Amino acid sequence: MGSYILRRLLQTLLVIVLLSYVFYYLMAMMPGDPVDLMISSNPKITPEDVIRLKSLYGLDQPAYVRYGHWVQDLIKGDFGYSRTYRVPVMELMGARLMNTFILSLASLLLALLISIPAGIYCSLHPNSKLDYTINFFSFTGISLPSFWLGIVLIILFSVKFPIFPAGGTQTVGLDDGTIWDIFADRTKYLILPVLSLSIQQIGRFSRFVRSAMLESLRNDYIRTAKAKGLSHNVIVWKHAFRNSLIPLVTILALSFSGLFSGALLTETVFAYQGVGKLVYDSIIGNDFNVAMVALLISVSMVLVMNLAADILYSVVDPRISY
Amino acid sequence: MEINSMEAIKNLEKPRSMAQIVFAQFLENKAAVAGVIVILIFTVVALAAPWIQDAMNIDPDDQDLANHYLPMASYSEAPKNVKESLLHNFIAREPEKAKVLQDTLLGQHLVQVENPEDALFKLLELPPLEFEKLLISTQAPEAQSLINLSKKFKSFHLFGTDEVGRDVFIRLIYGTRISMGVGILTAVAAALVGLLIGAFSGFYGGFIDTTLMRVTDALLALPTMPVLIVIAAVDIQKVPFLNFLVTAQNQSIWKLVFILCLFSWMQVARLVRGSVLSIREREFILAARTLGANDFTIVVKHLFPNVIAPMLVSISLGVGESILYEAALSFLGLGIQPPTPSWGNMLNKAQELIFEATHLAILPGLLILLTTISFNFIGDGLQDAIDPKTIKR
Repeated sequence: MGSYILRRLLQTLLVIVLLSYVFYYLMAMMPGDPVDLMISSNPKITPEDVIRLKSLYGLDQPAYVRYGHWVQDLIKGDFGYSRTYRVPVMELMGARLMNTFILSLASLLLALLISIPAGIYCSLHPNSKLDYTINFFSFTGISLPSFWLGIVLIILFSVKFPIFPAGGTQTVGLDDGTIWDIFADRTKYLILPVLSLSIQQIGRFSRFVRSAMLESLRNDYIRTAKAKGLSHNVIVWKHAFRNSLIPLVTILALSFSGLFSGALLTETVFAYQGVGKLVYDSIIGNDFNVAMVALLISVSMVLVMNLAADILYSVVDPRISY
Repeated sequence: MEINSMEAIKNLEKPRSMAQIVFAQFLENKAAVAGVIVILIFTVVALAAPWIQDAMNIDPDDQDLANHYLPMASYSEAPKNVKESLLHNFIAREPEKAKVLQDTLLGQHLVQVENPEDALFKLLELPPLEFEKLLISTQAPEAQSLINLSKKFKSFHLFGTDEVGRDVFIRLIYGTRISMGVGILTAVAAALVGLLIGAFSGFYGGFIDTTLMRVTDALLALPTMPVLIVIAAVDIQKVPFLNFLVTAQNQSIWKLVFILCLFSWMQVARLVRGSVLSIREREFILAARTLGANDFTIVVKHLFPNVIAPMLVSISLGVGESILYEAALSFLGLGIQPPTPSWGNMLNKAQELIFEATHLAILPGLLILLTTISFNFIGDGLQDAIDPKTIKR
């Protein structure tokens, strides 16, 4: 077990290092480096200045040399400055990460809370009317473009019936309220983004729970449990559901990457100050240092989550041992 | 009773091929059949786009700032310069008719102009209804052709116009071409790449297999959207071996298909590898090998036919997914570049549309939803139809 985790950790680390190089290289190929931007904003700049500036910032060197310098700085703890916000990158990341974490966790919880009961109901009453209805809605959820759902939600609940704010993270200037005030305020801003982010997961999970439950209800031990005269609840929750947890953990692990992709779009639509929006804004705005760090952190988070889910397997299924 | 059992026996005796069984099974799934119908309609509309454009006489790229954000089912008047150039064309095409009309107008003192050549142009200043009335009142037989011409002065906008006055209906139709085209191209190309990699990996095993599967797993675990954004933002002219794409007229389309392909072949690769691994050890492969078949023949003739059905499923599910990614990237301004319309980039200004013209923020999304849900239903129906466990014989 220990050696397995170590091996997987090393693999994950290797993937992250490789990716960081790929990202660095790709960003070097984006239109406009910092000096190009300076030229366009300052017509009086001379060609000599351009050459001097490029060598000052090391932009005349090939991408792999610059990557080496960047990694050296990173190891020393210097993540660089944001050109847009004019603060050290690390100062930006903390709050953004927290916001994305809250959004993703809330969406995941909501998705599980709705899809597990819905999936179990469908598996217990297959081919019933409600089963078909839930199945149809699951399909709709999977097929919905989440950013468009966000737009529709804004139209409905912020423009036509102004119940929730159309975007943002929290009300400006409410920092000195009680914890309860802040919590209520944040919740108000979270409801629409969480809804639009969780719809796809709800659809995916319900279908998954349904088929996993149907599979485990077919087993011999269920018949044995029924023959023993166990109550319906015990059979469903203790025997069937616990055995359908293993595939559920798989889909949970795979959903992290989807959740993060969705969060980027949702955050952009709702102007929610999370890492996803930071990634998008910094790439569009040529804020190179921020883009690199934000991307790496988000990708690493997803990869580590996957690793955690793999390790969790052996906890839910004692038959699996590494 | 007697007849029924006779028929049942007859049916039993009738041999059916696998394809027939799958097809019959598929037809029983109403949602999947509905999906096929929707996709067929959309395909026909997408292919017929130029004819629809001709019939409606609206150009999808025609901008007219004076008529932006028109409501649904409204008419717009062409700007003055467009009317004048249409009239110029008419005069050049049929000088005699124009001359007769000009003389009639001046003769009946219906228009007052200094220069006789301006007579017809003076008419253009009138509102459309009076323009027509005046021409009818001349009772000249040539008037009818000018009235026909005046029909081109105004255009009907079923879904109104967008922020720069382009007709939304015709743009949605052209968007169908782009969005469905990108989706289908991506899914098919990704399936082919996945087929090659999966077959290679499963058939040869060993080091190749381990490496390829590590790469597949790593790509599957990545959060797709942030990575897609980075790649989509890359200036393709700076990429050494891809810059041939830049010369193509619709470079953003090919670029997008290429990028989406990079991240959608993994599912197929895994699926193909799995089935190749299980089929590789069967007796019929051994038989083929004993008969002297080489690797290529075995893979193409004996392995591929066995993975076609599950591949069809993942292609149709993949189309839906690719359409969603295309829409998302174009929505963010990194996918299909305007003026080429796609459902995604029509939502690009959605924040503004919410207040200006709500239906413009809703329509493209509805089409995306309808298409993806249809492809997903088709994929699901296919999956059920080819799954031997669910086949009722």
